[in-house]
Order: sequence, then structure tokens, then C-alpha cells
Amino acid sequence: MTPLLELQDLGVTYRTADGDLEAVRGVDLTLQPGETLGVAGESGSGKSTVAASVLRLLPKSAKVTGNVLLDGQDVGAMRWGTLRAARWSEASVVFQGAMHALNPVQRVGKQIAEPIRLHTAASEAEIDSRVRELLDQVDLPAAKARAYPHELSGGQKQRVMIAMALACDPRLVIADEPTTALDVIVQAQVLDLLGRLVEQRGIGLVFITHDLSVLASTCSRIAVMYRGRIVESGDAKEVITAPRHEHTAALAAAFPEVGDAGSRYAPATARPLPDEGERDPQQPVLLSARDLRVHFRDRTGSTVAAVNGVELDVRRDEIVALVGQSGSGKTTLARTLLGLQRPTSGAVYYDGEPLPVSTSGLRDYRRRVQLVLQDPSSALNPRHTVYESVAEGPRIHRLDGDERDLVVSALEAAELRPAEQYLTRLPHELSGGQRQRVVIAGALALNPSVLVADEPVASLDASVRGEILGLLLRLRRQLGVAGLVITHDLGLAWNIADRVAVMYRGELVEVGAVEQVLLEPRHDYTKALLAALPSAGRDDARYAG
Amino acid sequence: MTTSPTDQHATDPDERRDGTSTVRYVAGKVGGALVSLVFVVALGFFLFRMIPGDPLVTMTRERPTDPEQLAHLRERLGLDRPVWQQFLDYTNGLLQGDFGTSYMYRRPVGDMIAERVWPTLLLVGTATVLAVLLGLWLGVRAAWRRGGTFDRTQTGIALALWSMPQFWLGLLLLIATQGVFPSRGMTSVDPPDGFVPQALDVAWHLTLPCLTLLLVIYAQYMLVMRSSLLEEMGADYLRTARAKGLRDDLVRRRHAVPNALLPTMTLIFLQFGMVVSGTVTVEAVFSWPGLGLLTYESLRGPDLPVLQGVFVILAGSVIVMNLLADLLYRVVDPRVRAS
Repeated sequence: MTPLLELQDLGVTYRTADGDLEAVRGVDLTLQPGETLGVAGESGSGKSTVAASVLRLLPKSAKVTGNVLLDGQDVGAMRWGTLRAARWSEASVVFQGAMHALNPVQRVGKQIAEPIRLHTAASEAEIDSRVRELLDQVDLPAAKARAYPHELSGGQKQRVMIAMALACDPRLVIADEPTTALDVIVQAQVLDLLGRLVEQRGIGLVFITHDLSVLASTCSRIAVMYRGRIVESGDAKEVITAPRHEHTAALAAAFPEVGDAGSRYAPATARPLPDEGERDPQQPVLLSARDLRVHFRDRTGSTVAAVNGVELDVRRDEIVALVGQSGSGKTTLARTLLGLQRPTSGAVYYDGEPLPVSTSGLRDYRRRVQLVLQDPSSALNPRHTVYESVAEGPRIHRLDGDERDLVVSALEAAELRPAEQYLTRLPHELSGGQRQRVVIAGALALNPSVLVADEPVASLDASVRGEILGLLLRLRRQLGVAGLVITHDLGLAWNIADRVAVMYRGELVEVGAVEQVLLEPRHDYTKALLAALPSAGRDDARYAG
Repeated sequence: MTTSPTDQHATDPDERRDGTSTVRYVAGKVGGALVSLVFVVALGFFLFRMIPGDPLVTMTRERPTDPEQLAHLRERLGLDRPVWQQFLDYTNGLLQGDFGTSYMYRRPVGDMIAERVWPTLLLVGTATVLAVLLGLWLGVRAAWRRGGTFDRTQTGIALALWSMPQFWLGLLLLIATQGVFPSRGMTSVDPPDGFVPQALDVAWHLTLPCLTLLLVIYAQYMLVMRSSLLEEMGADYLRTARAKGLRDDLVRRRHAVPNALLPTMTLIFLQFGMVVSGTVTVEAVFSWPGLGLLTYESLRGPDLPVLQGVFVILAGSVIVMNLLADLLYRVVDPRVRAS
């Protein structure tokens, strides 16, 4: 049988101003109809380049060697007309980031209909009913055809992308990070949908992601890419449970299984963690919220309770993970705790005192409680050197002492050593992990007692993720810095947190020790969150009941 | 599988509520425009009061007048009253459509502006429409083949023309065309009979001033369209469109250009008001009987009521155009409707 897709010794080289960049080297892959192949790798591993090369969607600066055979036909040798005819009707793509992959000013129904109109001679009525049928297949009401992308949630947009990919009944679908940036529950729905479609229609699916645990539940075979090469491939379960290549092991370790004792308080970091000292369970409460409520008015004028009666304590020398899906009010709660948002009622206390209202009082307070944002690339001013970025806080707060010493010791505390080497660098000269360390150093320069971190590793690569989590854990153990980590990632909580607070529709539905909440969840929502976690299948019976 | 609450209950467009938010949006924008207009009126009034020199001196320049006549004149024009009183009188008049009386021509300023506004609108409107069409077309072509010969030469030419003074370019064109086109006025001294011949006569007179204005202003539309399209060209949805099998020109026409047009549109409207106020030199060079020429003539006075009236009209047109741009943007960009 002719394989649906065959890559033979595929190589892609980008010509850049700094010389040639080999993005993909010697990649061989085959996919049979009805099969699901997972391609895993970090950003820069070349996995998206492989995806783009299948439909010859690479930019002009790319030079392709080797062969791409789509149903036995060489894509590289196709004439433009033949290629255009093959695009979407033979193979389609579910692109990464549905937010940007959809035209923002066109109704989604029109965008789904576009390839049908292009590749078939269907009448308007037929196209209309086909769009309905496609939306129905991805569990969206037909009325959503008239919606613009911004009127849909992230999960709905991803469904639209999938509906669009199926529009011309392709035999091959390439899904490039289809669930990244989605909440666990929505991710589970999208994965379930993709799995069902593959099964029902016998299409071949290439599933590209950085998250190995997602592949475990969807793919039969996995290929792991690293620096443009496939370093390991084989049966999905085998690759994940018994990785042969060290990079595969690093990828697998980055997303810990909740309940796996080996990864509790043990993020995947290369540096050793300091031993846990004697822990005093009666540490003083640093930051607390009492019956905190924040109400917003939406554009229709009705009141929305973003934070609805929250009671939360963060003690010295502990890390609390605040988990919940987007829209649950996590970020509003964090903003209120930081004094960036005024509560409608209730109060925030720091060290037993209510939060000051005066500007200078708030400034002092913010010195004690520092914020670390999700995306270090946008949190740092691109024109400021590392030194400037870190020194800004001490300057604003007019800290005593030599500025340079403060900056150097903050960078060292954030494990950028030797610090002198980084002082004059600009953000674009640093890797993602180093940038996040600079952001953390900027917070540490003020010698805070609490770090509030909003998804601190969500935009980082798998291998860097463990290092940053390790840093947060070390800061707590060595300096006693308390942490409130806002995340949608339960594995992160399992990795470093002492307590978990689960937020759902503005309320904390469950607060308690990590082991208690994650292993014996009481609230239905916590159970749903845990059930939605993709699992390598080591112990599926755990969450039953 | 558990269903996610947020996923299922995400924004369902609710027509009735959309309606009230539209009304609120429009009311807000119109209110803002009215406030700006009030500021413009006040600014115009006091600005022209600060011009040194006694208007009576200019008015009575070549005539011997005795102090009694002067005092009488001062009283008749209301210039003997306190400034704030004059301002109240002025705004009161404005509300009734009375812009005051010209010192030089002793005619109502409103009438003078009314007869000059149409020639200016004709000139600016024609030039803007042509400049927009030319600029957008060139901008799209330049961006799509970025860095190519077309891009480089066209961007260079447009920038060179953009930096030329209008009067100088006008004079150059006059010399270059060697009297093929008329050099002054909007109609021939002895206009032909019938509508079509008259329209052709006006068009013939319009050619050079319109061409001058067009050449100077098209660059901004081209450059904004070019950069706006360049920004869109890296967008992911264009890759989606290509992956669907769309031809390159369809990708451009259906997906890239509509998105890139949005920021350009605001500029078109904003600039329209600016171009109106920028016609002073072109109208002066070609003696085009519009608001620009009226300003030019009144400046020699200075004929304060006329200048003040023209100022209010020009500034008002910028505000109104800005308002239109805001409202139109909401119609064409679905995202603005949501926020």
C-alpha cells in the first residue's frame, strides 16, 4: 500500500543574513492511512518546518532537499496549479494559534466555506449545508458560522480550525500544536474530537506538539525531534515510558504525572535542589484575602463577579498554586492582591495590616510583593540592557546600597552566573529561560517576601520549564520567599507547590495541601480538571469514581 | 467527557444588547466631537483677539476719519464692549448660524464661506479620491513585492513629491504645461452654455490645481497602505489562505488587503480635513475661488471675522471627519464593535 505521506531524507535550510540555518536534516517519516503519528520537540526543533514542507508552505528563503511524497506524488516536483489543487483537498493543516490563523474580519462560516468553493463545484446551498455539517461534527452550533473569530472562545476557534481542515475531506490532516494555549478541559475536548475524527474517517493525522503527554493519549507512534533531526521514534507508549534519547527523557520529565511520587518537589532541573530544612508549619501569614470580591460591568451593563468571596492565605516559606481555567478570575485575584485592582468589597492584608490606599503606601507594599509575568519577551523592555531592567526597581524604590551590587546579587540569586557576563546584554540576545530569569532577578532585586508569578513557565520550552520551577523552589528553600503561582497546569503544582487553591467562576472551590487536593479531590470541578489531564496511561484507574 | 462551562457559554451575540451599546458608542463619540468643537470656537475667538494691531486702523486705512467716527464704528462693531461680552455675542450668533460681518466687504461671513466652500470641496474631494486610489494601488503593489524595483522607485518618487512645497510644484506644472491648461479661476471669463460644456470647462480649470494637490498628498496613502500591508503579510491567516490552495492574488485581495485597509481608512478620513486646510497655497497659486483663497485674501486685512469663520469651518471639518472615521471603523471592523 502506498503510504499517505512519506518524507525521504528531508532537509530544509533557511538562508538568513547570518548565513545558512539548517532547520531540518535527514528526516524520514512514513504515515499510513488511518494512522496517527506524533511529532514532538521544542521550539526550534524543526517540527513546524516539517509540517510546512508537506504543502510547500515554506518561505522563499527556504531551500528544500530530499523528497516529500503525498500519496505517492512528489510534492516538490508538482507544478503550481497541481500543488494548489492538492492543498487542502489532499492534505490540510490545523494551524498553531487559531487566534491568528483565522482572518479576523471575516465570518468563520465564510472561511470554512472558502476551500469548498475553491476546490469543488458545489452550489451555494450545498456549501451552506456542508458548513453546517462541519460545524456539527466539531460540536459547534450552526449559528456560529455567522460569528467573527474574536466572538469565539479559544476552544471554539480551535474547533473552527478543525472544521475548516475537514472541509474538503482530505486524507491527511497535519495538526500543528492544536491544543497549545488551551485550558486542560478544552484541550481534552479537542483531543477527543481529533481522535474520533481519525477513527471515523480513516484519515491520517500528523500531530505536532511540544507536550509529550498529549501525544501519549492520541498517537500510536511518536517521533521526537531535536535540533532538526529525529532523535527517537517508535511506539508511543514505549517512547514515553522508556525513552532512549536523553532529550526525550527531558521532554517526558518536563510534564510530570500528577501522583508520581518521583516528581513531587522535584522539577526537572539539572542543578541540585537544596535539602529541605526543618519546616515550621506555623509560619506567619504574609498575604491574605478576606471575603474578597471584585465586580466588573461588562459591555452590556450587567455585573460580573470576577472574584466572588475569596479567602486565601499565603504564608512565609510556602508556595501556593492558584489553578483554574482562563476566565475563572485567577488573574483578577492576583491583580487585586497586588493592589493593582481595587476590590469591590472585602480586603487584602499584608503582614496583618490592610493594604494601604495611598500611592506611597502602595509603592512600599509592592516592594514586598513582586510580580513575575507570563511572557518574559514582552515583560522586558527590548531596548533596556539586563542591568537597566534589573536596576529599575531599586531606583524607583530608592534602595540604599550600591546599585551595581544589588543588580549583581539579584542576577546571581536568579542563577544567572557569572552575573557580570549578562549586565550589558539586551533581551533579544538571551534565550527564553534566561529572559525569565532576568524578570525574576528584577523582582528579587527589591528583596521581596512574596513573589506572585502569573503562568511563569507557560511560554517557555519544556527543558527550560523545569529549570525555572527549580529556581522558584530553591528561592523558597534558601531565602524563604513565599510564592503564589497562578497556573492552569496541575503538573506545575505537583512539581513545586505546597498548597493548591482551585478557582472556578470567581470562587475558590477547594483549597488544601497538594497531595490532598490533587489525589483526593472533593469538588466536582477539581475532579473534572484532573480527569482532563492527558495521561501516559501509567495508571488510568486512579481518578475513577 | 466533561463539558467546559466557559467554552459552551462563550459570547453569544445578543442583538438587543448590541443595539444599546451601539447607541452608547455613537453618543460618546458625538459628545466628544461637540466638546472639541466648543474648544475650537473658543480658541479661534481668543486667538484672533491676540493678533496685534487695531482692526479699526486697518479698516480706515486710506480714509481720514475723526475720533468721533472711530468711536461710532467701534460701538457699531461691538468692539467697545469687554472681550467676554464679545465672546458671548459671537457664540450666540454662531448658534443662529451668524458668523459675523466681514470688515472688508461688509457682508455676512456665513454667506462668503458658503459660496467658497463648494469650489474647495470639489478640488479637495477630487484630489483626495484620486490620491487614495493611486496611493492604495501603488502601496499594495509595493508591499507585495517588497524591496523590488517597483517598490524602491515608487517609494522614492512618492517621497520626493511629498516633500515638495505645493506652490512650487504648482508653478512648475504651470511652466511645464506651457499654457495648455488655464492658470487661474474655476471657469472661463465667458463660460459656455449648457450643463455638460460648463462641467467640462470647470474640469479643464480643475486639472492643474487638482494634479498639484494629488501629487503632493498621494504619498501618505501609499506609504501607510504599504506599511500596513507589510505588517499583515507576516500574519498567520495568510498562510492558512495559501494552504487552502488560494492563488497568490486571491490571498492578497480577499485576505491581506481588507485587513490592511482598516488602519489606512482612518488616515484617509483624518487627512481629508487636513487637506482642506492645506489648500491655501494651491488655491492662491491658481486663484481657485475656494476657502483657501478666501483665507489668503482675508489675511491681508486682516479681516478677523472672516478668518475666524474659516478657522472654525476648517477645524470643524477635521473634527467631523474624525468622527466619521470612528463611526465607519465600527461598521467595517467587527472587532471594534466588541470592545
